[in-house]
Amino acid sequence: MSRATIRFLLFLRFTSAILLVSALSPAQTSPSPSAHNELVIRNAVVMTATHGSIKNGSVYVKDGKIAAVGENLKAPSSATVIDAGGKFLTPGIIDSHSHIALDDDVNEATSPITPQMMMIDAFDYQDKAIYRGLAGGVTTSLLLHGSANMIGGQAIVIKHKYGLNRDAMLFPGAPRSIKFASGENPKRVYGSKDQLPSTRMGNFAVQREALVQAQDYMREWDDYDAKVKRSDKDAKPPKHDLKLEALADVLRGKLLVQIHCYRADELLTEMAMAKEFGYKVRAFHHALEAYKVADQLAANGVGIATFADWWGFKHEAWDAIPWNAVISMRKGVRVAIKSDSEDFARRLNQEAAKTIRYGGATEEEALKMITLNAAWIIGVDDRVGSIDVGKDADLVLWDGYPLSSSGVPNRVWIDGDVYFDRSLPGYGMPHYQEGQ
Amino acid sequence: MKIQLLPAVLACCLISVIAVAQQGPVVLKGGKLLTVSHGTIENGLLIIENGKIAAIGSGMAVKLPGNARVIDVTGMTVYPGLIDSETNLGLTEISAEQMSNDLLEPSDEIMPHMHVYDAFHAESELIPVTRINGITNAIVAPRNGDTLPGQDSFVQLDGKSALEMLLVRDIAMPLNFTGAQRHNESWDKRRFPQTRMGMAAQLRQAFLDAEDYRQKLIDYEKKKSEPAKADEKKDDKKDEKKSEPTPPKRDLKLEALLPYLDGKKSIVLAAEGPSDLETAVSLAHEFNLKFVLNHISHSQPVLDYVAALKVPVIVGPIYEDPKDYERYDAVYSLPAQLYKRGVKIAFATYDAHNARNLPYQAGFAVAFGLPPDEALKAITLNAAEIWGVADKLGSLDVGKTANVVVANGDPLDVKTDVKHVFIEGREIPLASRQTQLRDQYSGQ
Repeated sequence: MSRATIRFLLFLRFTSAILLVSALSPAQTSPSPSAHNELVIRNAVVMTATHGSIKNGSVYVKDGKIAAVGENLKAPSSATVIDAGGKFLTPGIIDSHSHIALDDDVNEATSPITPQMMMIDAFDYQDKAIYRGLAGGVTTSLLLHGSANMIGGQAIVIKHKYGLNRDAMLFPGAPRSIKFASGENPKRVYGSKDQLPSTRMGNFAVQREALVQAQDYMREWDDYDAKVKRSDKDAKPPKHDLKLEALADVLRGKLLVQIHCYRADELLTEMAMAKEFGYKVRAFHHALEAYKVADQLAANGVGIATFADWWGFKHEAWDAIPWNAVISMRKGVRVAIKSDSEDFARRLNQEAAKTIRYGGATEEEALKMITLNAAWIIGVDDRVGSIDVGKDADLVLWDGYPLSSSGVPNRVWIDGDVYFDRSLPGYGMPHYQEGQ
Repeated sequence: MKIQLLPAVLACCLISVIAVAQQGPVVLKGGKLLTVSHGTIENGLLIIENGKIAAIGSGMAVKLPGNARVIDVTGMTVYPGLIDSETNLGLTEISAEQMSNDLLEPSDEIMPHMHVYDAFHAESELIPVTRINGITNAIVAPRNGDTLPGQDSFVQLDGKSALEMLLVRDIAMPLNFTGAQRHNESWDKRRFPQTRMGMAAQLRQAFLDAEDYRQKLIDYEKKKSEPAKADEKKDDKKDEKKSEPTPPKRDLKLEALLPYLDGKKSIVLAAEGPSDLETAVSLAHEFNLKFVLNHISHSQPVLDYVAALKVPVIVGPIYEDPKDYERYDAVYSLPAQLYKRGVKIAFATYDAHNARNLPYQAGFAVAFGLPPDEALKAITLNAAEIWGVADKLGSLDVGKTANVVVANGDPLDVKTDVKHVFIEGREIPLASRQTQLRDQYSGQ
């Protein structure tokens, strides 16, 4: 099968998935500004993130998707032509670890096991942090529960369509993720209240106990389902328990497990625990000591979402080194650079560029850390994260070279629509007006 | 973890021992010299001798000393050591570990008698991390939680001990008026000053008390000189003893304010928004304080007023989030806007662990309109001038201290790798606890 055919088939798969999801989702009814735009961006240096840079490249966008990429594309005359003037064009930046737009409702720090928390219930879609990230080129973010609890809540994936309504900002069809945490934060939060856990032993005991309960719960439901199947009259449904239901979904592999974890020993323990209970860890977040156990992470297919050079803010960040990302990547770990802050979310391009300096990442490797690899961690790499045919037209046109101190987004498209334009007065957003 | 730390601490001490003295002259040959004071010299030569810049020029014009160590830096950029105009270096090791922090005395807001030199930890692991990114000098300040948190020192990021590294003690004193100094957390924790009115009243009282104290000292000095006159008149010795004046009780707090009240030293006046800025400036004017401005991150609407004050501004952190009512680039573009109005600016990280990223803040300002040479100046010569050390630091000029950095590109870009750092002519090994961990594990 040719590459193009595969792409075409993939394209079909995405679109059918999207149609299915959007038919169910209220996003369908929200105003989607001009989603069926047809445009061609010409005369750009297209940094694809998967197959190098195309000088004097063009990208043809139709129905919110990337329809063609290459040199000297022939786009239909119906398409609006945008001359990029030789500027760089990258995929939209993806932030695989964010707590913005939650109005400080990041941690339900009243119990170390709270998998039933749904971040959607706190999603403050008017938070200006979404706009400020957008102005920094971020088009997709994973909004996670905090790290106060060993098992936190369930995340949401948003697109930074600032100015639209809540549901129109959700990434349609994105897989569910759950946040786990380990180390100092749960220890401190509960230890300071003289509660369990106050040590790493306590942390993992609490986590293990919750997973054991989930196993029992899952077994009860499986027994019930089996009884129903064979029309057993004695079949009595067990009591619904939101908390255990969520954990059972972890065991069933229905949730991507995102674990906040710093120290090398804890990275190993978390992987052993996953093996013990039969679930997969999707990615370790922060993972500042990943470079010490990168071989094991690679062997388990676990990604990391890490900081470029942030360190020393607490004891478990004391061995953080700016070479972490590249050492881990060279050993086969899928590496993303993430924000974990409103501030970094506005300049992830600069953070990724640090990996060129610290360890010698190539331009494309650095770019992948804030696009395709981040998309993989979130589970949306088949939809976004690179400039490839069939993917969502989430694009950033840059003033200056994006992987540098002075790269600044000039325009940002999401699903083929401009959501940020630096040249506009005021906030620079076509779909948002103050007082909206 | 603590046990692991020990060998690293020892290794670090060894590093500083190795870098003690400059061995003969060093010649940096073939580089692009960013002098900051007199433009760029392509294919330049820079000679370091006895800890100073001995010569600088183009390849043709300079004669090499016979015993010199010549380093070929062709294709590299050579620039003055960078100066961070506010850090907490030496006052913290691990932010969350209180026992490793000496950042602020929160018991009272008026703490001018806190001197960071009393806490400056010369062997901090953060210092090698910072200097191998080309930052050779810094202001060390207490954290901004008090209106008057103590007095800053100007340090050099290499030396045998704190004594050597503390170049200027009590160089300036922060006066913070950003609102963060209020105690308005939860109702049960609230205490004076809970409001900006409280902060201002407390500051006024402190400076008034200092004025009274100064008057008492003046009166005392005056009285002390009187008996001498009486002596000439050969009065009764018994009476002379009786009239001997008693000095005023020494008050360290008020004493610490006197150099500022007398205009001998500069206050570093921190405010963010326009209203705090104007309140803080009027307070400074009330007591005739000499000042430079700090932060003013959200003061875009009053930049003409700022320019009219004719004082330098320590600007940043450029990464400060704008207010919701501000455009996304309101803080990013502030340095360029100040420069356009003729204001002398310097950048600061206000950080310790991340002080190594100082040049990138300047680089980011370039993306929002600050000319690149002005951005470099704001982390070298402008800073040196503001802190009164421009006779020794801040540019590549003959006679200045040889704090010199060599890198493989634009000093302000994140991709640029620093290749050599000289502090007082000593080549600093490009080693830190972090490079040791890198070397230990990258071959794994």
